[in-house]
Formats: sequence, C-alpha cells, structure tokens
Amino acid sequence: MDYLGQLLANGLVLGAIYALAAVAFTLVYGVVRLVNFAFGELFMLGAFLTASLMLPEVRLLGAIVPMPGFSLPVAAAGAIALTAALGVLVDRIAYRPLRNAPRLAPLITSIAVSVVLQSLAQTVWGAEELRFPEFHLATLPPVVLFDSIYLSVMDLVVMATALAAMLGLSAFIARSSLGRAMRASAEDQMAATLVGIPVNRVVAAAFAIGSGFAALAGLLYAQTYGFAHSSMGFLPGLKALTAAVLGGIGSIPGAALGGLILGLVEALGSGYLPNGTAWKDAISFVLLVGLLYLRPQGLLGKPELNSAGRGSLLGGASEFGAGWLRAAFGKLDGGLARAASAGTPAALGLLALALVVGALLPSDYWLRILTLVVIYGMLASGLNVIVGFAGLLDLGFVAFWAVGAYLTSILFVLVLKDQFGVEPATIWWLLYLNLPLAGLLAAGFAVMLGTPTLRLRGDYLAIMTLGFGEIVRVVAINWMDLTNGPMGIRGIPAPNLFGIALGSPRAQFFFALALAVVVVFAIARLVRSYVGRAWVAIREDEEAAEAMGVPTARYKLYAYAASGFVGGFVGVFYAHTQQYISPLNFSLFENILLLMLVVLGGLGTFIGPFVGALIWIVFLQLALDLPFVQAYPETRFALLGIVLIVLMVFRPQGLAASARVALTMPGARPANAKEAA
Amino acid sequence: MSQTAHIVHLTAPTGPADAATPPLLQVENLAVSYGRIRAVDGVNLHVEPGRIVSLVGSNGAGKTTTLMALSGLLPLASGRIRFAGEDITALAPELRVARGIAHVPERRRVFAGMSVRENLVLGAYARGDAVDIASDLERMVALFPRLGERMAQQAGTMSGGEQQMLAIARGLMSRPSLLIMDEPTMGLAPQMIDLILDTVLEIRKQGTTILLVEQNAVEAMRLSDHVYIMRLGRIVHEDSGTNIDPERVKSFYLGADA
Ligand SMILES: Nc1ncnc2c1ncn2[C@@H]1O[C@H](COP(=O)(O)OP(=O)(O)OP(=O)(O)O)[C@@H](O)[C@H]1O
Ligand SMILES: [Mg+2]
Repeated sequence: MDYLGQLLANGLVLGAIYALAAVAFTLVYGVVRLVNFAFGELFMLGAFLTASLMLPEVRLLGAIVPMPGFSLPVAAAGAIALTAALGVLVDRIAYRPLRNAPRLAPLITSIAVSVVLQSLAQTVWGAEELRFPEFHLATLPPVVLFDSIYLSVMDLVVMATALAAMLGLSAFIARSSLGRAMRASAEDQMAATLVGIPVNRVVAAAFAIGSGFAALAGLLYAQTYGFAHSSMGFLPGLKALTAAVLGGIGSIPGAALGGLILGLVEALGSGYLPNGTAWKDAISFVLLVGLLYLRPQGLLGKPELNSAGRGSLLGGASEFGAGWLRAAFGKLDGGLARAASAGTPAALGLLALALVVGALLPSDYWLRILTLVVIYGMLASGLNVIVGFAGLLDLGFVAFWAVGAYLTSILFVLVLKDQFGVEPATIWWLLYLNLPLAGLLAAGFAVMLGTPTLRLRGDYLAIMTLGFGEIVRVVAINWMDLTNGPMGIRGIPAPNLFGIALGSPRAQFFFALALAVVVVFAIARLVRSYVGRAWVAIREDEEAAEAMGVPTARYKLYAYAASGFVGGFVGVFYAHTQQYISPLNFSLFENILLLMLVVLGGLGTFIGPFVGALIWIVFLQLALDLPFVQAYPETRFALLGIVLIVLMVFRPQGLAASARVALTMPGARPANAKEAA
Repeated sequence: MSQTAHIVHLTAPTGPADAATPPLLQVENLAVSYGRIRAVDGVNLHVEPGRIVSLVGSNGAGKTTTLMALSGLLPLASGRIRFAGEDITALAPELRVARGIAHVPERRRVFAGMSVRENLVLGAYARGDAVDIASDLERMVALFPRLGERMAQQAGTMSGGEQQMLAIARGLMSRPSLLIMDEPTMGLAPQMIDLILDTVLEIRKQGTTILLVEQNAVEAMRLSDHVYIMRLGRIVHEDSGTNIDPERVKSFYLGADA
C-alpha cells in the first residue's frame, strides 16, 4: 500500500507535466489541425531558459555570460514569455505560409523546426547537461501523507501549478472573447473570418499559449529531475503527444486526462513490472497503439477528428512566395521532370557513372561514404514506397530496417557463432538467404503494423506508426537475451561470396550498387503495375479511390509490405557492412532523416531518394572541413532543417513534384505534364 | 404579411433611387481566378444605400465567388471595390466587417458546436467587447422569435431553416450597413422561404442595404430594386425598379442553361 501510494504520487507529478505539454499539442491541433512536433523542443527551451535566468552566469556558445539570477517564479515567467514569442515566430515563418499547402508540408516543416531548435540548443548550451538550480522551496522538508507517502514541496507546487494553469486555460477558452474566437476558428475558419475574426492572429495566439504551456511543462520537468539537456524534450514531447491523442486531440480535458493516465501508468508500470523502469517508455506507446485501434478519436475526442487530417498528403499547392522564387523552383522542377522522363536511360546512365566512380575512386574513405549513400538511398526508397507512392506518412519505418539488421546479426553472431561455434565464413551463403528472409519477416511486421492503422487517417496514422517505431526500439534496447540490449551486437561478418570475403570498401560499394539495382527495379515494376496505380490513386484521393472500387485497405497493406520488405532487405546488408549494430542506429531521428532525404530528392520518384542521400551525406562530410562546423558539428542538422523549411515554404509540393509518378486514367494526359511547362 | 403586399410595396421603391446618390458599394472590373480557371471576369456592379439588389444566375455562374471576393476571402485577379466612399480592395476581411459589410455565407455555416447565443455573440466580434450586446440580442429575438426560444441550444442540432435564421442574425449582430446574403433560401421548405424573404424586407426597412444572391430568380425579382444577371463569370444583363420584367429576366437566366 505504501509503495503503491508513493508510485501514485510520483505518477501524478509526472502526469501533471505530461498534461501541460499535451495541452500545447491539443490546442494547436484543435485550431489549425497541425501536429506541431516542435513542442518537444519548446519544452526543452523552457527548461534551458528558466535555468539560465536563475543562474548568476551560464556558458553560452562556450563563453561565460552573466545572467540575472532570478528566483524560479520570475525566471519561469520570463522563459514562458520568450518561448511563447518563439512559438509565434515559428508559426509565422514555418507554418502560416503553408495553411493551404499539401498536408505533408507543414508536418515536414514542424519536424524540421524540431531538428533546428534541438541542434541550436546544443550549439548554444553545449552537449552537457545543465544542472537545474535549486529553488529555496525545494529545501523544505517533504510533506508526508499517511505516514508513508513522501511528496516534496516542489511536487505539490508542480501539481498545483498544472491544475491552476489548466483550469485557467479552460475558463479562458470557455468565456473570453479570444477563447470563443479560437473555438470558432477551430470549427470553421471561413465562417470565423466572415464574422470579423482575424484568424491568423487567433492562430498565433494559440501558438503563443501552446508554446507557453510547453515551456511551463519543460521547466517543471527540469526542476523535478534536476537538469536541462538539449535532447530532453524528445521523449516527453512524444509522450505528451501520446497523451493528447489518448485523451482525444483537440480536447483540453482530454489532454489532462491523457496526461494523468500516462503518468500513472508509467509510474505503476515501472514500479510493478519486472524490470519496469526499462520498459516504461514502451508502455505508453503500447497504450497508444491499443487505444487508437479500439477508439481512434481518443477517450474524450470527437469521432470527426480522425477524418480531420484526411485529404491528400501531397496534393494541392499554396500560392505563397515571391513570383521569381516560385518560377525558379518551377524551372528546377521542369529540369528534373525532363531528366526523369528519360526514365530508364537516365537510370542506366547514373548506374554507369556510379560503376566508373566505384572503379576509379582511389580513396577508401570516400568509397565507404558512397556505400552509405547507396544504403540510405535504398532505405529512403523503401520509405518512399509508402510516403511518396501511397501517400501514407510513416514514422515507424526504421523498425523494418532494424528487423533486417537484427535478424542477420542474431543468426550469425548470437546464435551460430556464440551458441554453436560456427565460423561465419563457412556459412557465407546464409547472408543471401537472409536478404529475402529478413525482407519477408519485416514485411510481415509491416502488415501487422499496417492492419490496425487501416482505419486511421492522416495525422493519426503518423502518430501510430511513430508509436510502433518507438516500441521496436525500446524492445531492441531492453530484450537483452535477444538483442544484447544497448551494448549492441559486435563482430558481424563482412559479406562473403563463395568464400571470398568482400571486406574491401570497393567490393562493398559494388555489392551495394547491385542491391540498389534490385531494389529500384523491383519498386519500379511494382509502381508501374496495377498495384502502383492503386497506390497513386490512394495518394491523390483516398475517398475517390474507394468510390471507384479500389480496395484501398488491401493496397495500403501491400504498400506497407513492400516498404517493409525493402527495409528488412537493406537492413541485412547494412548490418554486414557496419559489422556492429545497436539500438541507437534505429532511432526516430533516423526515420526523420530518411523522410527528409526523400523530400529533398523528390517524393514519389525513383531516383529521388538516392539524390537526396547523395546531397545530404556528401554535404555532411564536406561540412566537416569548415572550422565553424568542426567546433559545432550539430549545426549541420540545423542547416538541413533550414534548407527543408525554405524548400517546403516555397515549394510545398516538394522538389521534382512534376517528375512524381502521376495518377493515370485511361485516356487522360499525365496530370503533371502542364505543371512542368 | 402576405406576399402580394410586398410586391406592391416594392414596385414603388423606398428611398431615393436616382443616380445622384453615391453608391454604398461600387465594384469595378472585378476578376477572380482559381488557379488557371477564371471564375469571375470583369464584373461591374453598384449598390445604392437602402436598396435590395440581387445577383442571379445559374449554377457555377460565379455568384458565390463574387461575394467571397467582396468580403476579402479570395484574392482579386484585378478590379477595385469601394465601400462607403473608401477603397477597400486591399483591406483584410475582418476590417471589412468592421467597416460594415456582413456576409451570410452559402450553406449557412453556423458554428455547429456552439450555442445559439455564442453564435450571435461571435457575430458582434468585429465591434469589440465594449459594446452593448444585450440590446442586439433582443433585436435579433424580435426579428426571429424562434431563436429566442433556443438561445442555449447547440446550433448544429437546429433545423435548416432555424440555422438560416441564426446565420442571418449572426450577420446582423455586427450592425452592418450592407448585408450580403448567399442563397438564404437554399434547401428550405416553401413556408420557410416566405419567412426568410419577409425578414429580408424587414431588415431593409430597418435601414440595412442588401445584396442578395438567389437561385430562385422570380422570388429575387419580386423583392429587389435592382437585379444583375450573371452568366459564366460576367454580368450579362441588369434591370432596375419598375422596369424589372420577370419574363425578360427569366429568358436571360434560362439562357445560361441553354
Ligand atoms: N475552390 C474552387 N476551386 C476551383 N474552382 C472553383 C472553386 N470554387 C468555385 N469554382 C468554380 O468557379 C465557378 C463559379 O463558382 P461559384 O461557386 O462562384 O458559382 P455560383 O454562381 O455561386 O453557383 P451556385 O449557384 O451553384 O452556388 C464554377 O465553375 C466553379 O466550378
Ligand atoms: Mg454559389
């Protein structure tokens, strides 16, 4: 009982923090139907800003800067105001231009904003934790309930603050004029405009309040656990999003309920389950996946919301940007489209070029990098099947990659070598068996993942796949017996053909190219077949596709399976070239990176993923020569984020949109032919 | 009030109608495009104060597009809009409401999840918080007694006719000098249509100028002081006051379908 009581108390504190951050997601989603992934980073900034304002001095960009040394309440108020202003700025720059853009565009910019903010925070505050200064209330003796449950005074402050903030917000939304205007804009933006509501300003207000709540949650979190760190917002951000979805996104009581449930379940889970603390991150995502399956609208949400995010992920365009900029992008697109319409010759030309480079390039170092380009290009191609061709946003793709990499590593190293003492070179053929086997296994996983998501649309789908991806990663970390846990698996043998070790970088590059040919050829065949036409129809308009008799559920599953197959297939090769894998290789960030590569190179095109990978990985290497980047390597990610935001704002359809495999109907001209002109 | 009474009343328009009065609304050479499709192409029209002016035309003629451009919901490809002597072409939509243009949109678009009262209060948003909303609510209840009984009801649960009343009342809450209405009788039973059209006359009588879009050209002509007929994005004919000849208008109107 005492133990339970203490767990409940801890759960309430954590739940209060999740609930506050969930309010941020729910408020902004309710008003503009945007999942603003960047709230996790605003949460982190709230913590850093508060801590910095409380200290007498902090180290910023490596230099000691004197700080005011405010007390916690003053510093918190300052940090909340600054974060709210930043939130409004982000909306203005990265989201407002995209209000009428294809729905993928603001999702991408929100992820890009996260990446930018996180790498900037790391640049400014450094990679180390910043200790959260102690507030004098924290030194008071704890409150003891029922003789056995200890709550620090600050725990009570956290809960009271959260309660007050949420009650205050509810009253504000229910009664104030601005609150009413927010509800009106959430319901019908056009009607709201017609009664004279300045909708853009109302949306900005929602961002300000949401960002303020995220900052409040972040600073309370940091003060509870005693530190601030540039990556601290990532998991709590996901949890808060989960809480918002759990409670029914768009509903403020739902966010409170979702946050509390999540906090309590995590506290109880880590207290009672065997090895519970390790598994607690998986618990919330299992809860999310289960709930979305049973009740997609969440506990208190309205059923319509599941359909709110519907509509084509890639369709539509916005009328934003200076004419010459749009024209420039249009030209670039036209060029890409012409290159793509060359089709097979272009692909063969590129392959020939790659072969020549592979044969002549003297540097092993660069050959390894090019091999990585081809691997990431193949992985991005797999993701492209589901995002670019079928138009379903998938944030759990890394899981398939992990399945392939782990399957072959476990078989080769943990089972055959460690258990049976088999020398890898004698079973070199197993690799070639594993390639299709891992593909099939991952495809099976993908179908398992896909089935419960069939009822979900748009943003909900993205969140659910994200939950799946995280579950697989947590399993990889914690199922020690199977995966060797965070230590990862070492000594994976290099590929081998008929006893000849393909250990040299050049051999591996050619190996990678051979696999890439297989992958691209297979995807191209699929996309040009009836299956591919069904995918494109689903991408352009799922309702219409269904109405025309396309069994959309079945073809969506095919898309998951095909993309999973590629992920598993490539994962096998990846493990053998890297010779070491660990759960860190398969984080959500990798998934985001792959998504960005596809967007960069051109969604729904065949060579785009490789182009994106080439641009990014070569840039990553070249940038390392710049002195500034050497001092602050994470700024490279900020740069990628900025490039993507600019790209999305001025070209929301993505690059090479006119080269995208288009919807074809009997007798119709290719839909994008005129666009290229 | 019977229908015939209105017709008599209408054939002798109230208020000064001669060209000397400066128009309340003046639209010159208005053009609006959706991407490459030009939906409205060079429309000129003007609305004198105290009048009821109708814009009629068949489906897809560009009536709704014209009205949306007037309230600033769509960007103009070209043209100028003057309202009460001021050029409002580049004015933000919410400021146009504040200047005195209210727009009752096609398909009513009440805030379905909110109460009738909240819908009405939102109608006064552009006027700011300080103004006396209670007396306006009373005015709306006097105009539509039905709304008075349903102040607390969720707007989305009301009948189509009731929602139309609410949409009109919401528009009037901003105390407009020009009320734009887009097919207020769409999908309503005949009795309800009569009631709504009676109210249109009543609103004008209380001093609000009206720009009305109607599918039902015959009804529109009975009410109006002036009629514009639109076809394929252009004004193809207009008629004024006693000159309105239903048969002629009808032939233009039907011509669009032919
Ligand atoms: N959002 C839009 N995108 C593209 N085209 C549009 C859009 N809205 C309207 N149109 C086109 O513009 C033209 C004019 O439409 P509009 O709605 O203004 O007609 P209307 O006269 O109001 O018709 P109705 O009497 O049916 O309401 C039509 O051809 C229509 O297809
Ligand atoms: Mg219309």
